[in-house]
Amino acid sequence: MSTSYLISASYTWGQFTPTFFLVGLALLLLLADALLPRLSKQAFPLIAAIGCFLATCGMMAGPWKNLYGMVAAGAATLCLLLVFDYRTVVYASVAGGGREEGSGELSALMLLATAGVVALTQARDLVMLFVSMETITLASYTLAGYFRRNRGSVEAGVKYLVLGAVSTGILVMGAAWFFGTTGTFALTMRFEQTALANPYLSIGFMLSLALLFVGIFFKAGVVPMHTWIPDVYQGAPTPVSAFLAVVSKLAGFAALALLALPLAEMHSTSAGMLKPVMFALGTMAIATLLVGNLGAIPQQNIKRLLGYSSIGQAGFILVFFVGLRSSLGSDTLFYLLAYGLATLPLFFVVGQLRMQRGSEDISVFRGLGRTNPRIAFLTAVCLASLAGVPLTAGFLAKLASFRSALVSTMSDVPASSVLIIVVVICATAGFYYYFKVLRAMYWEEPTEDDLKVNFSGLSTGVLALCALGILVLGVYPMLF
Amino acid sequence: MTPLSHYLIFSGVLFSLGLAGAIIRRNILVVFMCLELMLTAANVALVGFSRAQGLEGVPVYDAQLLVLFIMAIAAAEVAVGLALIVAMFRARRGVESSSLTSLKD
Repeated sequence: MSTSYLISASYTWGQFTPTFFLVGLALLLLLADALLPRLSKQAFPLIAAIGCFLATCGMMAGPWKNLYGMVAAGAATLCLLLVFDYRTVVYASVAGGGREEGSGELSALMLLATAGVVALTQARDLVMLFVSMETITLASYTLAGYFRRNRGSVEAGVKYLVLGAVSTGILVMGAAWFFGTTGTFALTMRFEQTALANPYLSIGFMLSLALLFVGIFFKAGVVPMHTWIPDVYQGAPTPVSAFLAVVSKLAGFAALALLALPLAEMHSTSAGMLKPVMFALGTMAIATLLVGNLGAIPQQNIKRLLGYSSIGQAGFILVFFVGLRSSLGSDTLFYLLAYGLATLPLFFVVGQLRMQRGSEDISVFRGLGRTNPRIAFLTAVCLASLAGVPLTAGFLAKLASFRSALVSTMSDVPASSVLIIVVVICATAGFYYYFKVLRAMYWEEPTEDDLKVNFSGLSTGVLALCALGILVLGVYPMLF
Repeated sequence: MTPLSHYLIFSGVLFSLGLAGAIIRRNILVVFMCLELMLTAANVALVGFSRAQGLEGVPVYDAQLLVLFIMAIAAAEVAVGLALIVAMFRARRGVESSSLTSLKD
Protein backbone atom coordinates (compact mmCIF):
# COMPACT_ATOMS: atom_id res chain seq x y z
CA MET A 1 0.00 0.00 0.00
CA SER A 2 3.01 2.28 -0.07
CA THR A 3 2.19 3.39 -3.60
CA SER A 4 0.46 6.68 -3.31
CA TYR A 5 -2.49 7.04 -5.69
CA LEU A 6 -1.95 10.70 -6.07
CA ILE A 7 -4.66 12.85 -7.39
CA SER A 8 -2.81 14.36 -10.32
CA ALA A 9 -2.69 10.97 -12.03
CA SER A 10 -6.23 11.10 -13.36
CA TYR A 11 -6.62 14.82 -14.00
CA THR A 12 -5.31 17.16 -16.64
CA TRP A 13 -5.08 20.91 -16.25
CA GLY A 14 -6.92 21.36 -19.53
CA GLN A 15 -10.12 19.71 -18.36
CA PHE A 16 -10.54 22.39 -15.71
CA THR A 17 -10.45 25.27 -18.20
CA PRO A 18 -14.13 26.20 -17.63
CA THR A 19 -13.51 26.27 -13.86
CA PHE A 20 -10.42 28.45 -14.22
CA PHE A 21 -12.33 30.74 -16.55
CA LEU A 22 -15.15 31.19 -14.03
CA VAL A 23 -12.75 31.74 -11.12
CA GLY A 24 -10.71 34.22 -13.16
CA LEU A 25 -13.81 36.16 -14.12
CA ALA A 26 -14.95 36.24 -10.49
CA LEU A 27 -11.58 37.60 -9.36
CA LEU A 28 -11.64 40.21 -12.14
CA LEU A 29 -15.10 41.30 -11.02
CA LEU A 30 -13.88 41.58 -7.43
CA LEU A 31 -10.95 43.72 -8.57
CA ALA A 32 -13.25 45.86 -10.69
CA ASP A 33 -15.52 46.29 -7.69
CA ALA A 34 -12.64 47.71 -5.69
CA LEU A 35 -10.72 49.63 -8.35
CA LEU A 36 -13.37 50.95 -10.74
CA PRO A 37 -15.90 52.74 -8.54
CA ARG A 38 -17.39 54.46 -11.59
CA LEU A 39 -18.40 51.21 -13.26
CA SER A 40 -22.13 50.80 -12.78
CA LYS A 41 -23.01 47.91 -10.50
CA GLN A 42 -25.68 46.89 -12.98
CA ALA A 43 -22.91 45.66 -15.25
CA PHE A 44 -21.63 43.08 -12.73
CA PRO A 45 -24.41 40.51 -12.93
CA LEU A 46 -24.63 40.98 -16.69
CA ILE A 47 -20.89 40.40 -17.22
CA ALA A 48 -21.04 37.41 -14.87
CA ALA A 49 -24.07 36.01 -16.71
CA ILE A 50 -22.32 36.37 -20.07
CA GLY A 51 -19.26 34.60 -18.65
CA CYS A 52 -21.42 31.79 -17.29
CA PHE A 53 -23.19 31.48 -20.60
CA LEU A 54 -19.86 31.18 -22.42
CA ALA A 55 -18.82 28.47 -19.98
CA THR A 56 -22.13 26.70 -20.65
CA CYS A 57 -21.48 26.77 -24.39
CA GLY A 58 -17.91 25.59 -23.87
CA MET A 59 -19.03 22.54 -21.91
CA MET A 60 -21.63 21.50 -24.48
CA ALA A 61 -19.19 19.66 -26.70
CA GLY A 62 -15.54 19.40 -27.56
CA PRO A 63 -12.65 18.85 -25.16
CA TRP A 64 -14.46 20.30 -22.14
CA LYS A 65 -17.67 18.35 -22.61
CA ASN A 66 -19.34 18.01 -19.22
CA LEU A 67 -23.11 17.71 -19.20
CA TYR A 68 -23.60 18.16 -15.45
CA GLY A 69 -21.34 21.21 -15.53
CA MET A 70 -23.22 22.56 -18.52
CA VAL A 71 -26.59 22.35 -16.80
CA ALA A 72 -25.10 23.90 -13.66
CA ALA A 73 -23.54 26.81 -15.53
CA GLY A 74 -26.73 27.32 -17.53
CA ALA A 75 -28.78 27.47 -14.34
CA ALA A 76 -26.24 29.84 -12.80
CA THR A 77 -26.60 32.10 -15.86
CA LEU A 78 -30.30 32.39 -15.11
CA CYS A 79 -29.61 33.05 -11.42
CA LEU A 80 -27.26 35.88 -12.36
CA LEU A 81 -29.88 37.32 -14.70
CA LEU A 82 -32.24 37.17 -11.74
CA VAL A 83 -29.72 39.18 -9.70
CA PHE A 84 -29.89 41.81 -12.43
CA ASP A 85 -33.66 41.66 -12.57
CA TYR A 86 -33.92 41.96 -8.80
CA ARG A 87 -31.40 44.79 -8.48
CA THR A 88 -33.63 47.40 -6.85
CA VAL A 89 -34.16 45.15 -3.84
CA VAL A 90 -30.47 44.20 -3.79
CA TYR A 91 -29.44 47.87 -3.71
CA ALA A 92 -31.99 48.74 -1.06
CA SER A 93 -31.03 45.83 1.17
CA VAL A 94 -27.25 46.03 0.93
CA ALA A 95 -26.38 49.70 1.27
CA GLY A 96 -29.77 51.18 2.07
CA GLY A 97 -31.43 54.08 0.29
CA GLY A 98 -31.07 52.70 -3.22
CA ARG A 99 -27.32 53.17 -3.46
CA GLU A 100 -25.47 50.56 -5.42
CA GLU A 101 -22.33 50.09 -3.37
CA GLY A 102 -21.48 46.67 -2.06
CA SER A 103 -23.68 44.83 -4.50
CA GLY A 104 -20.93 43.74 -6.90
CA GLU A 105 -19.66 40.87 -4.78
CA LEU A 106 -22.99 39.07 -5.05
CA SER A 107 -22.27 38.26 -8.70
CA ALA A 108 -18.63 37.39 -8.03
CA LEU A 109 -19.56 35.01 -5.21
CA MET A 110 -22.16 33.32 -7.36
CA LEU A 111 -19.54 32.81 -10.07
CA LEU A 112 -17.15 31.30 -7.52
CA ALA A 113 -19.81 28.91 -6.29
CA THR A 114 -20.59 27.93 -9.88
CA ALA A 115 -16.90 27.27 -10.50
CA GLY A 116 -17.02 24.96 -7.47
CA VAL A 117 -19.98 23.07 -8.95
CA VAL A 118 -18.25 22.68 -12.32
CA ALA A 119 -15.09 21.39 -10.61
CA LEU A 120 -17.17 19.04 -8.46
CA THR A 121 -18.73 17.40 -11.50
CA GLN A 122 -15.24 16.43 -12.66
CA ALA A 123 -14.01 15.09 -9.33
CA ARG A 124 -12.76 11.51 -9.34
CA ASP A 125 -11.61 11.31 -5.74
CA LEU A 126 -12.65 12.51 -2.32
CA VAL A 127 -10.07 15.29 -1.96
CA MET A 128 -11.28 17.05 -5.08
CA LEU A 129 -14.88 16.38 -4.09
CA PHE A 130 -14.34 17.87 -0.64
CA VAL A 131 -12.48 20.98 -1.79
CA SER A 132 -14.92 21.82 -4.58
CA MET A 133 -17.88 21.12 -2.30
CA GLU A 134 -16.49 23.54 0.28
CA THR A 135 -15.93 26.17 -2.41
CA ILE A 136 -19.65 26.04 -3.06
CA THR A 137 -20.59 25.93 0.61
CA LEU A 138 -18.38 28.82 1.72
CA ALA A 139 -19.63 31.05 -1.08
CA SER A 140 -23.22 30.04 -0.28
CA TYR A 141 -22.92 30.99 3.41
CA THR A 142 -22.00 34.51 2.41
CA LEU A 143 -24.68 34.59 -0.28
CA ALA A 144 -27.44 33.45 2.09
CA GLY A 145 -26.55 36.13 4.63
CA TYR A 146 -25.83 38.77 2.00
CA PHE A 147 -28.51 41.25 3.09
CA ARG A 148 -26.82 41.82 6.40
CA ARG A 149 -29.27 44.49 7.57
CA ASN A 150 -32.15 42.14 7.02
CA ARG A 151 -32.89 39.90 10.01
CA GLY A 152 -34.27 37.10 7.89
CA SER A 153 -31.24 36.99 5.65
CA VAL A 154 -28.75 36.95 8.53
CA GLU A 155 -30.76 34.26 10.27
CA ALA A 156 -30.78 32.21 7.07
CA GLY A 157 -27.02 32.65 6.82
CA VAL A 158 -26.39 31.51 10.41
CA LYS A 159 -28.72 28.52 10.14
CA TYR A 160 -27.13 27.49 6.87
CA LEU A 161 -23.67 27.93 8.38
CA VAL A 162 -24.31 25.73 11.41
CA LEU A 163 -25.90 22.87 9.50
CA GLY A 164 -23.42 23.20 6.65
CA ALA A 165 -20.46 23.01 9.01
CA VAL A 166 -21.94 19.94 10.73
CA SER A 167 -22.26 18.25 7.36
CA THR A 168 -18.70 19.25 6.44
CA GLY A 169 -17.45 17.61 9.63
CA ILE A 170 -19.42 14.45 8.86
CA LEU A 171 -18.15 14.43 5.28
CA VAL A 172 -14.47 14.66 6.21
CA MET A 173 -14.89 12.00 8.88
CA GLY A 174 -16.36 9.80 6.15
CA ALA A 175 -13.40 10.61 3.91
CA ALA A 176 -10.99 9.67 6.71
CA TRP A 177 -12.64 6.28 7.21
CA PHE A 178 -12.83 5.75 3.46
CA PHE A 179 -9.08 6.25 3.32
CA GLY A 180 -8.55 4.05 6.33
CA THR A 181 -10.43 1.12 4.86
CA THR A 182 -9.51 1.37 1.17
CA GLY A 183 -6.07 3.00 1.37
CA THR A 184 -6.94 5.60 -1.24
CA PHE A 185 -9.22 8.56 -1.89
CA ALA A 186 -9.91 7.52 -5.46
CA LEU A 187 -13.56 6.69 -6.12
CA THR A 188 -13.02 3.51 -8.11
CA MET A 189 -14.55 0.10 -7.81
CA ARG A 190 -11.25 -1.79 -7.38
CA PHE A 191 -10.32 -0.60 -3.91
CA GLU A 192 -13.87 -0.48 -2.64
CA GLN A 193 -14.41 -4.09 -3.59
CA THR A 194 -11.33 -5.18 -1.67
CA ALA A 195 -12.51 -3.30 1.39
CA LEU A 196 -16.00 -4.72 1.16
CA ALA A 197 -14.80 -8.31 0.79
CA ASN A 198 -12.69 -8.12 3.96
CA PRO A 199 -14.89 -8.83 7.00
CA TYR A 200 -12.82 -6.55 9.26
CA LEU A 201 -12.73 -3.65 6.86
CA SER A 202 -16.29 -3.88 5.55
CA ILE A 203 -17.79 -2.46 8.75
CA GLY A 204 -15.48 0.54 8.60
CA PHE A 205 -16.20 0.93 4.92
CA MET A 206 -19.95 0.90 5.53
CA LEU A 207 -19.44 3.51 8.26
CA SER A 208 -17.49 5.69 5.87
CA LEU A 209 -20.18 5.35 3.19
CA ALA A 210 -22.87 6.31 5.69
CA LEU A 211 -20.93 9.38 6.81
CA LEU A 212 -20.16 10.43 3.23
CA PHE A 213 -23.77 10.03 2.15
CA VAL A 214 -25.08 12.03 5.11
CA GLY A 215 -22.52 14.78 4.45
CA ILE A 216 -23.61 15.05 0.83
CA PHE A 217 -27.32 14.76 1.64
CA PHE A 218 -27.00 18.24 3.11
CA LYS A 219 -26.28 19.76 -0.30
CA ALA A 220 -28.88 17.65 -2.07
CA GLY A 221 -31.53 18.48 0.53
CA VAL A 222 -32.34 14.92 1.53
CA VAL A 223 -33.67 13.80 4.93
CA PRO A 224 -32.09 13.87 7.57
CA MET A 225 -30.10 16.95 6.43
CA HIS A 226 -33.05 18.83 4.94
CA THR A 227 -34.04 21.01 7.90
CA TRP A 228 -32.25 24.13 6.67
CA ILE A 229 -34.05 24.28 3.33
CA PRO A 230 -37.38 26.01 4.08
CA ASP A 231 -35.82 28.56 6.45
CA VAL A 232 -32.88 29.41 4.22
CA TYR A 233 -34.96 29.65 1.05
CA GLN A 234 -37.37 31.97 2.82
CA GLY A 235 -34.73 34.19 4.40
CA ALA A 236 -32.07 34.35 1.70
CA PRO A 237 -32.25 36.90 -1.14
CA THR A 238 -34.47 35.49 -3.91
CA PRO A 239 -31.67 35.03 -6.52
CA VAL A 240 -29.68 33.17 -3.87
CA SER A 241 -32.66 30.95 -3.04
CA ALA A 242 -32.89 30.16 -6.74
CA PHE A 243 -29.20 29.35 -6.81
CA LEU A 244 -29.43 27.07 -3.77
CA ALA A 245 -32.56 25.40 -5.12
CA VAL A 246 -31.07 24.47 -8.48
CA VAL A 247 -27.29 24.84 -8.83
CA SER A 248 -26.35 23.76 -5.33
CA LYS A 249 -28.80 20.86 -5.43
CA LEU A 250 -27.31 19.76 -8.72
CA ALA A 251 -23.89 19.77 -7.05
CA GLY A 252 -25.24 17.55 -4.28
CA PHE A 253 -26.65 15.01 -6.69
CA ALA A 254 -23.53 15.10 -8.88
CA ALA A 255 -21.50 14.23 -5.77
CA LEU A 256 -23.97 11.48 -4.82
CA ALA A 257 -23.66 10.05 -8.32
CA LEU A 258 -19.85 10.10 -8.07
CA LEU A 259 -20.12 8.13 -4.88
CA ALA A 260 -22.81 5.75 -6.08
CA LEU A 261 -21.47 4.91 -9.55
CA PRO A 262 -18.56 2.71 -8.34
CA LEU A 263 -21.04 0.95 -6.06
CA ALA A 264 -23.34 0.45 -9.04
CA GLU A 265 -20.43 -1.06 -10.96
CA MET A 266 -19.81 -3.43 -8.09
CA HIS A 267 -23.46 -4.31 -7.88
CA SER A 268 -23.35 -7.18 -10.38
CA THR A 269 -20.67 -9.05 -8.46
CA SER A 270 -21.48 -8.35 -4.84
CA ALA A 271 -25.13 -7.38 -4.65
CA GLY A 272 -25.59 -9.14 -1.31
CA MET A 273 -23.05 -6.98 0.46
CA LEU A 274 -24.63 -3.78 -0.84
CA LYS A 275 -28.08 -4.63 0.55
CA PRO A 276 -27.63 -2.38 3.62
CA VAL A 277 -26.66 0.56 1.39
CA MET A 278 -29.72 0.07 -0.79
CA PHE A 279 -31.95 -0.31 2.25
CA ALA A 280 -30.62 2.93 3.76
CA LEU A 281 -31.03 4.83 0.48
CA GLY A 282 -34.55 3.45 0.07
CA THR A 283 -35.53 4.53 3.59
CA MET A 284 -34.09 7.99 3.04
CA ALA A 285 -35.93 8.30 -0.27
CA ILE A 286 -39.23 7.39 1.43
CA ALA A 287 -38.60 9.84 4.27
CA THR A 288 -37.58 12.63 1.89
CA LEU A 289 -40.63 12.14 -0.32
CA LEU A 290 -42.96 12.21 2.66
CA VAL A 291 -41.35 15.17 4.43
CA GLY A 292 -41.11 17.29 1.28
CA ASN A 293 -44.51 16.59 -0.20
CA LEU A 294 -46.54 16.53 2.98
CA GLY A 295 -44.67 19.50 4.48
CA ALA A 296 -45.45 21.59 1.41
CA ILE A 297 -49.21 21.24 1.80
CA PRO A 298 -49.84 23.81 4.58
CA GLN A 299 -47.30 26.41 3.36
CA GLN A 300 -48.44 29.97 2.72
CA ASN A 301 -45.11 31.58 1.82
CA ILE A 302 -44.20 30.84 -1.79
CA LYS A 303 -40.46 30.57 -1.12
CA ARG A 304 -41.07 28.12 1.71
CA LEU A 305 -43.39 26.20 -0.59
CA LEU A 306 -40.65 26.03 -3.21
CA GLY A 307 -38.28 24.89 -0.45
CA TYR A 308 -40.50 21.96 0.51
CA SER A 309 -41.10 21.29 -3.16
CA SER A 310 -37.35 21.05 -3.67
CA ILE A 311 -37.12 18.51 -0.84
CA GLY A 312 -39.94 16.52 -2.42
CA GLN A 313 -38.29 16.61 -5.85
CA ALA A 314 -35.00 15.51 -4.25
CA GLY A 315 -36.91 12.48 -2.98
CA PHE A 316 -37.98 11.59 -6.51
CA ILE A 317 -34.37 11.93 -7.66
CA LEU A 318 -33.09 9.76 -4.82
CA VAL A 319 -35.33 6.96 -6.10
CA PHE A 320 -32.90 6.59 -9.02
CA PHE A 321 -30.12 5.78 -6.56
CA VAL A 322 -31.97 3.12 -4.58
CA GLY A 323 -31.38 0.27 -7.01
CA LEU A 324 -27.71 1.27 -7.57
CA ARG A 325 -28.01 0.91 -11.34
CA SER A 326 -25.47 2.47 -13.67
CA SER A 327 -28.18 4.49 -15.46
CA LEU A 328 -28.57 6.70 -12.37
CA GLY A 329 -26.23 9.40 -13.72
CA SER A 330 -28.22 10.24 -16.84
CA ASP A 331 -31.64 9.77 -15.19
CA THR A 332 -30.65 12.19 -12.44
CA LEU A 333 -29.41 14.74 -14.94
CA PHE A 334 -32.65 14.66 -16.91
CA TYR A 335 -34.69 15.06 -13.73
CA LEU A 336 -32.52 17.96 -12.59
CA LEU A 337 -32.85 19.62 -15.99
CA ALA A 338 -36.64 19.34 -15.88
CA TYR A 339 -36.68 20.56 -12.27
CA GLY A 340 -34.36 23.51 -12.98
CA LEU A 341 -36.31 24.61 -16.07
CA ALA A 342 -39.48 24.74 -13.99
CA THR A 343 -38.10 26.15 -10.73
CA LEU A 344 -35.86 28.99 -11.92
CA PRO A 345 -38.58 30.94 -13.78
CA LEU A 346 -40.82 30.67 -10.72
CA PHE A 347 -38.17 32.53 -8.73
CA PHE A 348 -38.23 35.26 -11.42
CA VAL A 349 -41.98 35.59 -10.92
CA VAL A 350 -41.58 35.59 -7.14
CA GLY A 351 -38.93 38.30 -7.41
CA GLN A 352 -41.11 40.56 -9.55
CA LEU A 353 -44.19 40.03 -7.38
CA ARG A 354 -42.15 40.74 -4.25
CA MET A 355 -40.94 44.02 -5.75
CA GLN A 356 -44.33 45.18 -6.98
CA ARG A 357 -46.88 43.67 -4.63
CA GLY A 358 -44.58 43.70 -1.62
CA SER A 359 -45.06 40.20 -0.28
CA GLU A 360 -43.98 36.62 -0.82
CA ASP A 361 -47.22 34.94 0.21
CA ILE A 362 -49.12 32.76 -2.20
CA SER A 363 -51.90 35.35 -2.05
CA VAL A 364 -49.82 37.76 -4.18
CA PHE A 365 -50.54 35.50 -7.14
CA ARG A 366 -54.21 36.46 -6.70
CA GLY A 367 -55.88 37.28 -9.96
CA LEU A 368 -52.69 37.12 -12.00
CA GLY A 369 -54.64 35.24 -14.66
CA ARG A 370 -56.83 38.36 -15.04
CA THR A 371 -54.18 41.07 -14.80
CA ASN A 372 -51.25 39.36 -16.58
CA PRO A 373 -52.71 36.48 -18.60
CA ARG A 374 -49.53 35.68 -20.51
CA ILE A 375 -47.30 35.54 -17.42
CA ALA A 376 -49.94 33.50 -15.62
CA PHE A 377 -49.99 30.98 -18.46
CA LEU A 378 -46.19 30.61 -18.49
CA THR A 379 -46.16 30.24 -14.69
CA ALA A 380 -48.87 27.61 -15.01
CA VAL A 381 -46.70 25.63 -17.44
CA CYS A 382 -43.83 25.64 -14.93
CA LEU A 383 -46.09 24.58 -12.07
CA ALA A 384 -47.62 21.86 -14.22
CA SER A 385 -44.16 20.53 -15.00
CA LEU A 386 -43.24 20.47 -11.31
CA ALA A 387 -46.47 18.62 -10.53
CA GLY A 388 -45.88 16.21 -13.42
CA VAL A 389 -48.70 16.90 -15.87
CA PRO A 390 -48.33 14.94 -19.16
CA LEU A 391 -46.67 16.70 -22.12
CA THR A 392 -44.26 18.51 -19.82
CA ALA A 393 -40.68 17.54 -19.02
CA GLY A 394 -41.63 17.06 -15.39
CA PHE A 395 -44.03 14.27 -16.32
CA LEU A 396 -41.32 12.27 -18.10
CA ALA A 397 -38.92 12.87 -15.22
CA LYS A 398 -41.46 11.61 -12.67
CA LEU A 399 -42.28 8.69 -14.96
CA ALA A 400 -38.60 7.73 -15.06
CA SER A 401 -38.51 7.89 -11.27
CA PHE A 402 -41.58 5.67 -11.03
CA ARG A 403 -40.11 3.22 -13.53
CA SER A 404 -36.90 3.12 -11.54
CA ALA A 405 -38.84 2.27 -8.38
CA LEU A 406 -40.69 -0.44 -10.31
CA VAL A 407 -37.47 -2.00 -11.58
CA SER A 408 -36.07 -1.92 -8.04
CA THR A 409 -39.14 -3.75 -6.75
CA MET A 410 -38.76 -6.42 -9.39
CA SER A 411 -35.08 -6.92 -8.66
CA ASP A 412 -35.80 -7.37 -4.95
CA VAL A 413 -34.21 -4.21 -3.61
CA PRO A 414 -35.09 -3.92 0.10
CA ALA A 415 -37.80 -1.40 1.05
CA SER A 416 -38.69 -0.74 -2.58
CA SER A 417 -42.23 -2.10 -2.44
CA VAL A 418 -43.06 0.58 0.14
CA LEU A 419 -41.10 3.07 -1.94
CA ILE A 420 -43.28 2.60 -5.01
CA ILE A 421 -46.46 3.27 -3.02
CA VAL A 422 -44.92 6.40 -1.49
CA VAL A 423 -43.82 7.63 -4.94
CA VAL A 424 -47.42 7.37 -6.18
CA ILE A 425 -48.89 9.08 -3.10
CA CYS A 426 -46.36 11.91 -3.23
CA ALA A 427 -46.79 12.49 -6.96
CA THR A 428 -50.49 12.97 -6.23
CA ALA A 429 -49.85 15.24 -3.26
CA GLY A 430 -47.76 17.44 -5.57
CA PHE A 431 -50.85 18.30 -7.60
CA TYR A 432 -52.51 19.72 -4.53
CA TYR A 433 -49.88 22.20 -3.42
CA TYR A 434 -48.67 23.33 -6.85
CA PHE A 435 -52.23 23.89 -7.93
CA LYS A 436 -52.84 26.04 -4.87
CA VAL A 437 -50.82 28.70 -6.69
CA LEU A 438 -52.75 28.04 -9.90
CA ARG A 439 -56.01 28.47 -8.01
CA ALA A 440 -54.83 31.81 -6.65
CA MET A 441 -53.96 32.94 -10.16
CA TYR A 442 -57.12 31.85 -11.95
CA TRP A 443 -59.93 31.34 -9.49
CA GLU A 444 -59.43 34.25 -7.12
CA GLU A 445 -60.67 37.67 -8.14
CA PRO A 446 -58.00 40.40 -8.04
CA THR A 447 -58.79 43.04 -5.41
CA GLU A 448 -58.68 46.71 -6.28
CA ASP A 449 -55.06 47.25 -5.22
CA ASP A 450 -53.89 44.26 -7.27
CA LEU A 451 -52.81 46.23 -10.30
CA LYS A 452 -51.25 44.75 -13.37
CA VAL A 453 -47.69 43.70 -12.54
CA ASN A 454 -45.09 45.12 -14.90
CA PHE A 455 -42.86 42.23 -15.77
CA SER A 456 -39.52 43.27 -17.18
CA GLY A 457 -38.70 42.04 -20.66
CA LEU A 458 -35.92 39.94 -19.18
CA SER A 459 -38.11 37.96 -16.82
CA THR A 460 -40.81 37.50 -19.45
CA GLY A 461 -38.16 36.26 -21.86
CA VAL A 462 -36.69 33.82 -19.35
CA LEU A 463 -40.16 32.55 -18.46
CA ALA A 464 -41.07 32.04 -22.10
CA LEU A 465 -37.79 30.32 -22.89
CA CYS A 466 -38.04 27.94 -19.93
CA ALA A 467 -41.70 27.16 -20.61
CA LEU A 468 -40.78 26.40 -24.22
CA GLY A 469 -37.94 24.18 -23.02
CA ILE A 470 -40.31 22.32 -20.70
CA LEU A 471 -42.81 21.66 -23.47
CA VAL A 472 -40.20 20.70 -26.06
CA LEU A 473 -38.46 18.30 -23.66
CA GLY A 474 -41.86 16.96 -22.65
CA VAL A 475 -42.79 16.11 -26.23
CA TYR A 476 -39.41 15.23 -27.72
CA PRO A 477 -37.28 13.90 -24.84
CA MET A 478 -34.92 12.35 -27.41
CA LEU A 479 -33.44 15.83 -27.87
CA PHE A 480 -31.80 15.40 -24.50
CA MET B 1 4.52 2.81 19.07
CA THR B 2 0.94 3.88 19.72
CA PRO B 3 -1.53 1.48 18.05
CA LEU B 4 -4.00 2.82 15.49
CA SER B 5 -6.97 2.05 17.72
CA HIS B 6 -5.90 4.70 20.22
CA TYR B 7 -5.96 7.38 17.56
CA LEU B 8 -9.33 6.20 16.32
CA ILE B 9 -10.88 6.11 19.78
CA PHE B 10 -9.54 9.59 20.52
CA SER B 11 -10.87 10.87 17.21
CA GLY B 12 -14.22 9.21 17.83
CA VAL B 13 -14.52 10.85 21.25
CA LEU B 14 -13.62 14.26 19.83
CA PHE B 15 -16.13 13.82 17.01
CA SER B 16 -18.94 12.81 19.36
CA LEU B 17 -18.17 15.71 21.69
CA GLY B 18 -18.25 18.10 18.75
CA LEU B 19 -21.48 16.72 17.33
CA ALA B 20 -23.21 16.63 20.73
CA GLY B 21 -22.07 20.18 21.47
CA ALA B 22 -23.27 21.44 18.10
CA ILE B 23 -26.70 19.96 18.80
CA ILE B 24 -27.07 20.83 22.49
CA ARG B 25 -25.38 24.18 23.04
CA ARG B 26 -27.37 27.39 22.53
CA ASN B 27 -24.57 29.93 22.14
CA ILE B 28 -23.62 30.15 18.46
CA LEU B 29 -19.97 30.84 19.31
CA VAL B 30 -19.75 27.63 21.36
CA VAL B 31 -21.58 25.74 18.59
CA PHE B 32 -18.97 27.06 16.21
CA MET B 33 -16.12 25.79 18.37
CA CYS B 34 -17.79 22.37 18.50
CA LEU B 35 -17.93 22.34 14.71
CA GLU B 36 -14.19 22.97 14.56
CA LEU B 37 -13.76 20.08 16.99
CA MET B 38 -15.46 17.76 14.48
CA LEU B 39 -13.01 18.79 11.77
CA THR B 40 -10.10 18.25 14.15
CA ALA B 41 -11.41 14.78 14.97
CA ALA B 42 -11.35 13.93 11.27
CA ASN B 43 -7.80 15.27 11.05
CA VAL B 44 -6.66 13.02 13.90
CA ALA B 45 -8.23 9.99 12.21
CA LEU B 46 -6.63 10.92 8.87
CA VAL B 47 -3.16 11.25 10.36
CA GLY B 48 -3.59 7.97 12.24
CA PHE B 49 -4.71 6.16 9.09
CA SER B 50 -1.91 7.73 7.07
CA ARG B 51 0.63 6.15 9.49
CA ALA B 52 -1.17 2.83 9.58
CA GLN B 53 -1.39 2.50 5.80
CA GLY B 54 2.30 3.32 5.35
CA LEU B 55 5.14 0.84 5.10
CA GLU B 56 8.41 0.87 7.04
CA GLY B 57 7.63 4.08 8.85
CA VAL B 58 6.83 6.02 5.68
CA PRO B 59 3.22 7.21 5.88
CA VAL B 60 0.90 7.54 2.88
CA TYR B 61 0.97 11.26 2.37
CA ASP B 62 -2.39 11.50 0.56
CA ALA B 63 -4.20 11.60 3.89
CA GLN B 64 -1.92 14.28 5.29
CA LEU B 65 -2.54 16.30 2.16
CA LEU B 66 -6.26 16.23 2.88
CA VAL B 67 -5.47 17.36 6.44
CA LEU B 68 -3.84 20.50 5.05
CA PHE B 69 -6.87 21.17 2.84
CA ILE B 70 -9.18 20.69 5.81
CA MET B 71 -7.18 23.18 7.89
CA ALA B 72 -7.27 25.76 5.10
CA ILE B 73 -10.99 25.32 4.62
CA ALA B 74 -11.65 25.41 8.36
CA ALA B 75 -9.84 28.75 8.49
CA ALA B 76 -11.97 30.11 5.65
CA GLU B 77 -15.07 28.79 7.37
CA VAL B 78 -14.13 30.57 10.59
CA ALA B 79 -13.66 33.85 8.72
CA VAL B 80 -17.05 33.62 7.04
CA GLY B 81 -18.75 32.24 10.14
CA LEU B 82 -17.49 34.91 12.52
CA ALA B 83 -18.52 37.60 10.04
CA LEU B 84 -22.03 36.16 10.00
CA ILE B 85 -22.10 35.94 13.79
CA VAL B 86 -21.05 39.59 14.06
CA ALA B 87 -23.83 40.53 11.63
CA MET B 88 -26.25 38.50 13.73
CA PHE B 89 -25.08 40.23 16.92
CA ARG B 90 -25.60 43.63 15.33
CA ALA B 91 -29.07 42.69 14.13
CA ARG B 92 -30.34 41.28 17.41
CA ARG B 93 -27.89 42.07 20.22
CA GLY B 94 -27.26 38.45 21.09
CA VAL B 95 -25.70 35.25 19.81
CA GLU B 96 -28.13 32.72 21.29
CA SER B 97 -29.61 30.30 18.79
CA SER B 98 -32.95 30.58 20.62
CA SER B 99 -33.28 34.10 19.20
CA LEU B 100 -33.33 32.75 15.64
CA THR B 101 -37.07 32.63 15.31
CA SER B 102 -38.11 34.99 12.54
CA LEU B 103 -38.19 32.21 9.92
CA LYS B 104 -40.62 29.43 10.66
CA ASP B 105 -43.76 27.70 9.44
